Amino acid sequence: MSMKEEIIDLIAKTLDVGSDEIKEGVSLYDGVGVDSTEMVELSIAIGKHIGITLSPGEVTNKNTPNEIIEIVEKKKNG
Amino acid sequence: MKERIAITGMGVVSPAGLKKETFWANLKSGRSFVDEVTRFDATLYPSRIAGQVHQLDAYSHLSGRLVKKIDVFSHMALVACQQAISDAEIKLDSIDKNRAGVFMGNALGGWLFAETELRDLYLEGREGISPYMASAWFPAAPQGQVTIYYGLKGYSKTVVSDRASSALALWYGAKVLQDGHNDYCLAGGMEAPVTPYALLSANTQGDLSKNNLTPSKAYRPYDLYRDGFVIGEGSGIVAMERESDARKRGVEISGFLKGIGFSCDGQHYAKPSMNTESLEYAIKECLKDCAWSKDDVDYICLDGEATETGDILEAQALNNFFGMSLKNIAMSAPKSMFGNLLGAQTALDVIATLLSMKNNLVLPTINFDERDPRCQIDCTPNKAQQKEINRALIMARGRGGINIILGIEK
Repeated sequence: MSMKEEIIDLIAKTLDVGSDEIKEGVSLYDGVGVDSTEMVELSIAIGKHIGITLSPGEVTNKNTPNEIIEIVEKKKNG
Repeated sequence: MKERIAITGMGVVSPAGLKKETFWANLKSGRSFVDEVTRFDATLYPSRIAGQVHQLDAYSHLSGRLVKKIDVFSHMALVACQQAISDAEIKLDSIDKNRAGVFMGNALGGWLFAETELRDLYLEGREGISPYMASAWFPAAPQGQVTIYYGLKGYSKTVVSDRASSALALWYGAKVLQDGHNDYCLAGGMEAPVTPYALLSANTQGDLSKNNLTPSKAYRPYDLYRDGFVIGEGSGIVAMERESDARKRGVEISGFLKGIGFSCDGQHYAKPSMNTESLEYAIKECLKDCAWSKDDVDYICLDGEATETGDILEAQALNNFFGMSLKNIAMSAPKSMFGNLLGAQTALDVIATLLSMKNNLVLPTINFDERDPRCQIDCTPNKAQQKEINRALIMARGRGGINIILGIEK
């Protein structure tokens, strides 16, 4: 599974929505109505899964999954 | 003169059924819905029996995404609210949501969520705790969840007053309607005390039955061999509006919330006063508020604490206050069938009484085998009795001598 697939799958599982509802280029707020508390949950879940520390301010619900993947990859490699 | 407040919808999530129709069918059968607590290891708890809601998910309309953010007491309240809205035929898209409020009663808060998350906080550190903890556990959480779910923006409030919480919530919601600040109101209560910590706390309080070997026989108010009440979980919600508005909508009116009487023993933080003056005062105030005489009352839904002190004081107060008139009043404690739901109990007592009024049937007090000679009241033992009920009082008493009496009429 690629990093992109992994993160989209993780977002869907954490929010308890279908993977097909997570659109790569649409912000999480516009796409599935993610609120600020859900975003805290997501940032913790992604951080734990990838093995990095991702604070809630670094990714927000205005980000698209593509942008989040980019931020995660940069942190992981950098 | 104050306008009457009509009850136009009812929602029930109880150990005796998860809809008003099932609730009624089960209660009139006079069966017990109390059983052993098995969802966690309660082996060492002095009281390990309860009235439990076993099929919430099957009756739930909520998404998994919402359910994992809320405690089960909010879940139960949301399911009961959905039933009440549907029963009252309220079209949420066509009402002014600025004038629709939610009034809830709760005693303990949402402990299942809190216990689990605090354990994770201590085990895993700050990232172990759910970000929803802050908004899930506190007593007003269900009120918040209901207002958010339906987008209701009218004046709303949660009352915490032990076993009288939902009595006060109903009155508060009715008063805000009477004063013209809201047009619609969802009112009632919810309680989820069957969790490891909440049940332990309730045990510490000491008034729970320890008859663990025969759960269905454990809750026996006014019986000589009672040993305390049985705790229960669930939610009862009613939809209310002003009588003139309900008539205009042409919706069925189940009954009216007519008046309230309240008093406080003012003597001890947990125990009631051994003098019944304060309880009698609350009954007197309720009749005054309802503009009823003693002889107008057809039925009293009893508090039925099933403790020696609680039962004897309640019976004494009723005999002192009503005198000979008490002979003509039917009385019972239907909660003996499913447990006392603490902050949600009065709402379910009101719903059970409204259904009794509709069906001209007095629900029984079960497990009544041998009268305690110190409780001289006819509590409709073991079997429902036919009787026309037009006006009823609901007794709600909380720890430390909280006395709330509601008056409802057909």
